[in-house]
Amino acid sequence: MSRNPADHLLTPGVHYLQGAQACAEGAILAGCRVYAGYPITPATEIMEHAAHRLPQVGGRFIQMEDEISSASVLLGASWAGVKAMTATSSPGFSLMQEVISFAIMTETPLVIVDVQRPGPGQGYITTSQEDVMQARWGHHGEGSIIALSPASVQDMFDFTVEAFNLAERWRTPVLLMAEETVAHMRERLVVPPLADIRIVNRITPQDLGIAPESYLPYGHAQVPPMAIWGQGYAINHVSLVHHADGNVTRYSPKVHFENVARIHHKIEDNVDEIARLDARWLEGCRHLLICYGSVARTGIEAALEAREQRNIPLGFIRLKTLWPFPESQLRARVPDLDTVFVPEMNLGMMKHPITEALRDRCRRVVSIPSLGGLHSPELILSRIYEELA
Amino acid sequence: MKKHPMLKYLKEEGPAGPRLPLIMCPGCGVGQVLNYTLRAVDTVIHEDGLRPEDFVFISGVGCSSRLASHYLNFDSAWTLHGRALAVATGALLANPKLKIIVFTGDGDAAAIGGNHFIHTCRRNLDMTILCINNGLYGMTGGQVAPTTPLGQTTTTTPYGNVEDEFDLCRLAQTAGATYVARWSTAHPHQTIKTITRGIRKKGTAFVEILSQCPVHFKTAPAEMFRGLKKSTVPLKKAGRKETQGRIPVGEFCDIDKPDWVARYQKIIDRLGSDESPHE
Amino acid sequence: MTRHPRFEIRIAGFGGQGVVTIGKILGTAFSIHGGRNSVNTQSYGPESRGGACRSEVVVSDGEINYPYVRKADVLVALSQLALDTYVDDLKDGGILVIDPQAIKSVPAPERFRLYPVPTLAIAHETGDVKYQNTVVLGALYAFIADLIRESDLLETLRESVPPATVDGNLAAFEKGKNFVRSTFVLEK
Repeated sequence: MSRNPADHLLTPGVHYLQGAQACAEGAILAGCRVYAGYPITPATEIMEHAAHRLPQVGGRFIQMEDEISSASVLLGASWAGVKAMTATSSPGFSLMQEVISFAIMTETPLVIVDVQRPGPGQGYITTSQEDVMQARWGHHGEGSIIALSPASVQDMFDFTVEAFNLAERWRTPVLLMAEETVAHMRERLVVPPLADIRIVNRITPQDLGIAPESYLPYGHAQVPPMAIWGQGYAINHVSLVHHADGNVTRYSPKVHFENVARIHHKIEDNVDEIARLDARWLEGCRHLLICYGSVARTGIEAALEAREQRNIPLGFIRLKTLWPFPESQLRARVPDLDTVFVPEMNLGMMKHPITEALRDRCRRVVSIPSLGGLHSPELILSRIYEELA
Repeated sequence: MKKHPMLKYLKEEGPAGPRLPLIMCPGCGVGQVLNYTLRAVDTVIHEDGLRPEDFVFISGVGCSSRLASHYLNFDSAWTLHGRALAVATGALLANPKLKIIVFTGDGDAAAIGGNHFIHTCRRNLDMTILCINNGLYGMTGGQVAPTTPLGQTTTTTPYGNVEDEFDLCRLAQTAGATYVARWSTAHPHQTIKTITRGIRKKGTAFVEILSQCPVHFKTAPAEMFRGLKKSTVPLKKAGRKETQGRIPVGEFCDIDKPDWVARYQKIIDRLGSDESPHE
Repeated sequence: MTRHPRFEIRIAGFGGQGVVTIGKILGTAFSIHGGRNSVNTQSYGPESRGGACRSEVVVSDGEINYPYVRKADVLVALSQLALDTYVDDLKDGGILVIDPQAIKSVPAPERFRLYPVPTLAIAHETGDVKYQNTVVLGALYAFIADLIRESDLLETLRESVPPATVDGNLAAFEKGKNFVRSTFVLEK
């Protein structure tokens, strides 16, 4: 891994890294300069790489006493104007849910990486996609969230940069739902010239010419401009239901609904801009294979074989964004289908919004589960052949 | 009528309406602590040349933490129960120039926040922790706390508390805080002076302020006040036979030790001059 | 859309034998210096030493979708348990490299091209058993010389080991490679 001696940033070009390292490097290039974390298999490599690299680029790293405080650090850093990230695995992800809920209500940009492992409980230390519903519904209360699903080392880099951009653009916590598979594998990473990497920063009241005396911390726009501590805006961050000016008294059901509905719609109304998916072989397909994360790697291999060796008219879709769920994009792109196959490293989770989205567009949705290990092409193919026999 | 001199530091009014009076109960000590804190901040602003925008107030959840809800004409955050110190850690690591003051309570700091409390002290992170200790959980109706005395009845110890209480200052000192002091709302001048010293201290300053909760102790505020004075004893008079059983107040320690950011900065400086391009 | 040819290598043994490092060096050599796509993965038990440990490299001129070995072209087995666990995933006619000091029985050896290489003993000869994995790397190179330039592999090896051990590692690599070249007739 080579870095520029002047600023210690990764040199543009080809690198060969673990997904974990690519993720930390993406964060650094996106501008992350505070990292807080706690050891947990299989996410520890991200933290260790961050511990190594953050001070090299003038950032600060701290290992906290648990996952709750690690996530809490991100709040203070973000409010003080610095991009911040933590990485954990499934049990730690459970611990962070209160902080995520709080970040949603206070509209605080931050990035949390969940390198999923099987559960429930201590489960195991291999790979999993069992937290994908928790990503959307694990935080108490309403409010939507953004969750991305990387499938390669390149994705671990690109999607981390994207996660920071989305967090800043939409003033929200963003989750990178990785898996042990993609965190531990080594592959080529191509880093573009730094000037070509798009970086998004939050809009501040100064950017919009709003002076402190006219500033409404939760007002002015669907995504309110965000004041940074230390710049004279006297911003009070609160997570109790609030007025646009930050007042937390004078409660009314109307104020409550306006406050929380705006935060919900801020994400859900903009799903077409936020959510992305990739599709192949949709034209003329009768059946569809929908995958996300590392399972997409097996999925493409299986789809290629099913199409070439058995002439099955099988289309393929990879969800790059899990939440907000791209229902309308999915419906717009697929023809009427017979069978939709959804292989997941869980017992069937994303199959539910998929089924809802394609309820009147396919005959049936078939789940192909695997727990604790990545699907082999044989596992997916044998199920497809069996169901379509 | 003349305005209270510290009102300049509060947000009295906003587009959605008035924010004062504070929501605290009549006779509560939390409002007094706000007054003492703002006077300390005012001193530091005028004598040390700091500006209001240099300060950040961070609180957890509870009566004490309400001070940093929407009243302060400073940057602030009303955060999660027990996690204010972790949030403060993040702000400090992002911008070490911020002067961070944390409002917390005894339950917030020593029960749910206990882990973060001891690690913050151990790390000697530069911030001023003001722990308003009323000996129970006020906001939720008067439950037992780690600082409730043995035998005390509360809503969750209806037959009397069977646990001993924490000595929060001893805890802070043992954990590594470099400035540790305790006063009470009944010691206004000492408290103001101590908070001022805490703000000026480079490192973790922990100031415990014993405070009255007239509502849950079902005792008139003036009587609680007299009680605070009677039940405490200045350090130099503590340990004598006639002051046994009284809570010592004063400064327990004031030591100089490099703070976390200073130590980490040495690493940043060393690496910044390292020219080698490879891992 | 045609699939591009992929070549699959698996190295397995127990924790502490440096199995993971071999895979990492190979993958890096293929992709940084060799300009090919490669995916390097590993799995092990939670113990730092002992237990079962495997490292894989899938290399291709095209996209690599499925990242793990489906049917290995080459299996290097450094322990009996490793061989027993992974022999079924080795393709018929595949290259099976074993350390005869550790492996006493090979199931259906006629199915494969079997090459016993005493990697541990050779490492002893270089003066330190910790060079065993580099001996393996050298031996392995002899079988995949058409996939990677020796200079690329050696450059990666130099960059991957502590500077004080570079000479020892290079010597171990040579010994492993020469053992295979002088002992076996290699088919293409």
